[in-house]
Amino acid sequence: MENIFVNISGSIRELIGVLGLPPLFNEAVMITVKVTGILLFIVLNALWLVYMERKVAGYIQCRYGPNRVGPKGLLQTAADISKLISKEIIIPSGADKILFLLAPVLIFTPPLMVFMVVPFGQNMAAVDLNIGVFYFLAVASLSTVIFWIAGWASNNKYSLLGGMRVVAQMISYELPMVLAVLGVVMITGTLNMSDIVRAQENLWFIFAQPVAFLIYFIAGVAECNRVPFDLTEGESEIVAGPFTEYSGMGFALFFLAEYTNVMLVSFMAATLFLGGWLAPFGLTIIPGWAWMLIKVYIMIFLFMWLRWTYPRVRVDQLMGFGWKVLVPLSLANIFITGVAIKVLDKMGW
Amino acid sequence: MLRTEEFTLNMGPQHPATHGVLRLILHLDGETIVKVEPVVGYLHRGIEKLAEARTYTQVIPYTDRLDYLAAMLNNLGYVQAVEKLMGIEIPERAEYIRIIVSEMSRIASHCIAVGTYALDLGGFTGFMYPFREREKLMDMFEMISGSRMTHSYMRIGGVAADLPEEFYPAIKKFLKEFPSCVDEYDGLITGNEIFQARTKGVGVLSQEKAVQYSISGPTLRGSGVNYDLRKARPYGIYDRFDFEVPVGEKGDCFDRYYCRIQEMRQSHRIIEQALEQLEELPGGPVMAKVPKVLKPPKGEVYHEIEGAKGILGYYVVSDGTTKPYRVHIRRPSFINLDLLDEMCRGWKIADVVAILGSIDIVLGEVDC
Amino acid sequence: MFGSGLLKGLAITWKEMLTPKVTIQYPDEIYSLPDRFHGRFKLDKDACISCGMCVRACPNNVIKMETETVARKKRLLKYVMDIKYCLFCGFCVESCPKNALGYEKDFELAQYKLDKVPLVLVDEEPLPPEEKERLEAEAAQKIAAAKAKKEASGGKDKGGE
Repeated sequence: MENIFVNISGSIRELIGVLGLPPLFNEAVMITVKVTGILLFIVLNALWLVYMERKVAGYIQCRYGPNRVGPKGLLQTAADISKLISKEIIIPSGADKILFLLAPVLIFTPPLMVFMVVPFGQNMAAVDLNIGVFYFLAVASLSTVIFWIAGWASNNKYSLLGGMRVVAQMISYELPMVLAVLGVVMITGTLNMSDIVRAQENLWFIFAQPVAFLIYFIAGVAECNRVPFDLTEGESEIVAGPFTEYSGMGFALFFLAEYTNVMLVSFMAATLFLGGWLAPFGLTIIPGWAWMLIKVYIMIFLFMWLRWTYPRVRVDQLMGFGWKVLVPLSLANIFITGVAIKVLDKMGW
Repeated sequence: MLRTEEFTLNMGPQHPATHGVLRLILHLDGETIVKVEPVVGYLHRGIEKLAEARTYTQVIPYTDRLDYLAAMLNNLGYVQAVEKLMGIEIPERAEYIRIIVSEMSRIASHCIAVGTYALDLGGFTGFMYPFREREKLMDMFEMISGSRMTHSYMRIGGVAADLPEEFYPAIKKFLKEFPSCVDEYDGLITGNEIFQARTKGVGVLSQEKAVQYSISGPTLRGSGVNYDLRKARPYGIYDRFDFEVPVGEKGDCFDRYYCRIQEMRQSHRIIEQALEQLEELPGGPVMAKVPKVLKPPKGEVYHEIEGAKGILGYYVVSDGTTKPYRVHIRRPSFINLDLLDEMCRGWKIADVVAILGSIDIVLGEVDC
Repeated sequence: MFGSGLLKGLAITWKEMLTPKVTIQYPDEIYSLPDRFHGRFKLDKDACISCGMCVRACPNNVIKMETETVARKKRLLKYVMDIKYCLFCGFCVESCPKNALGYEKDFELAQYKLDKVPLVLVDEEPLPPEEKERLEAEAAQKIAAAKAKKEASGGKDKGGE
């Protein structure tokens, strides 16, 4: 069980190897297979997460949530998506047509790119990049640009306001996030995600770096534009922010991208702080990749729980909280971590 | 040289946070409000004019459609005005029933005010819990009057029918559960630090300004003015009940919101007392002896009651025929909306939503 | 402490997640309507005396009534309620002196076609002229007979006096 996916990948590699093609071609086929696998995983998960969110929301709000389409309403998202596909895509007059259509296409790219370096289990990263964490931080923040494109291209004042909010919010929350992750990197001394997971063999970093985890979590919520930091969408203020003018599949893609982002941030939290695929309490009977998923889903549930409990903060409060609380706190965390590492080193740990 | 320009944003009449079809023209400097112009009239149906073509009784269903969230209170204001004009004494039993249903209506209206306020600030779950309790009240209204929202239950001279048997267990169950439900709102919404950060100190309405602009209801009391018609000039039999008038201190959004939460608790107290006293009363008629065709004497009357949103006044002029010569309604939502511009200046877009929600307007009443 | 309100909110939503739900799953579960429910109208044709009180009580001119008078008796031909203007205030039902008008416990009044919206409670053809004449002659005969009888008995009474 533990190595099921690694074995499958190995046997595919052997199968191609028999054909006697050049090794470069073999590599290309392998990457394609992996990308397809990840894409499938992401899309299926995004669909499931939409359903899960609606169920969680329903149960929190004394109702059932979707339960009509398919068994227990499981096909609700599929039905919604097929409805959205059949809708006309309306392009507002005065919109920048190319950018307007480009934004929903691009919105999926950054999370997809980051998923290439996520270790789903032991030896299960599609690309075991040695600067994985850096790559994640660099690429994930690209989605800011795409949100801004959507907001600008719509030629709608609400969209424009939403786009401005995205930029302000993402930049001010990227910083504490990076600084929080830095604490972990200082302890492990590596940017490779698999190595970071392996370094948590004895102690998960959520216990070694609780403040960093908290900062990462808050900044993560802000990164995903979710309540209480969903100013970008802020449906009671600016209608739907950058997505106001999107209809049909354009809207659906933004919607699914939000869940992909949630998943990404949860995967990162599980990898950096919750010991990745490592089994707690020696429960190795459950394979590593399943542990990873369990941890990710606990994180995702937390996101949803927060969303259905809290109101939204105001834009200046959001910025104030980011710059005046989170950034100093994460800097202090780095300082303390540094001192602790030095002291423990001197003591001969 | 960097040059900045004012930015005009048209908010509404179709907007998730304008509580219906209110249109606000926002003049913005970035996200900061320079000026707000409310544009009303998108739901105007001419109810005051319609009333002139109806008999006195036939006006009652139209008053339901003013503040449709607290229809019983609107009924009460109108029928009491006509009763005052005609000098009708109504039976004791009807008085108690009126108090019970109008306080239920007040709770139902405040449930919406609290719920939508949470929704305006982005907390969707805070919207659903008060609605759950409102549903229970709607069920009871359905038992009493047959309709969930537009009851048309009160009549000139009493009420349409006595309370049904099935109502008593339902209201008792509700009264028992309700305080814990309010505690739940308190825990989920009032106590939440994000909610407090969003509402405390925002949109302050000073006492003097509130009085000058004749603001009324929880919006006035949030500013610290202790003026509730049920206490100040008791109408009906309100002087028989023991309740307090919650008053805010600072006059910010939080105080206005919190006044409503506390008023729900006070209304709960009034219903409890009224129900107790009603059960001691012997059974009897719920309608005074009024002629089938109402012909009030020539003259005019102004009567005001404490509605859910503020002071609700009915001005009825009679020319001695079966139809009113003129009906004018003092709609509290409309008057409370006056100060929106002043309260919003200098705040952000998100605060406009918060301030508007804290005034608690109903567009059926604003536009009439 | 800052944050205690946030945690309390989380505790409340967690608790609610586990409590039973209040949803009534409409087409499967039917919500029990109270007796006084204002739903579709029904008219007891035989009890109705075509007095027109309901028409006059209606604030919105929803009710259209057509009658014909046969042998000094009003006969209901048409009773149509234009439901799209109805306020469901219940004044018509309240005004009915014979309790002929009432409610059904049915709220599903939506229609696909506009011409199906008006609620037709009575729709009868007027009586053919011969039938009308026959009935009128019959009634006239009856009246005449009664008159004759009355006169006869009246005369006796007078005689007794």
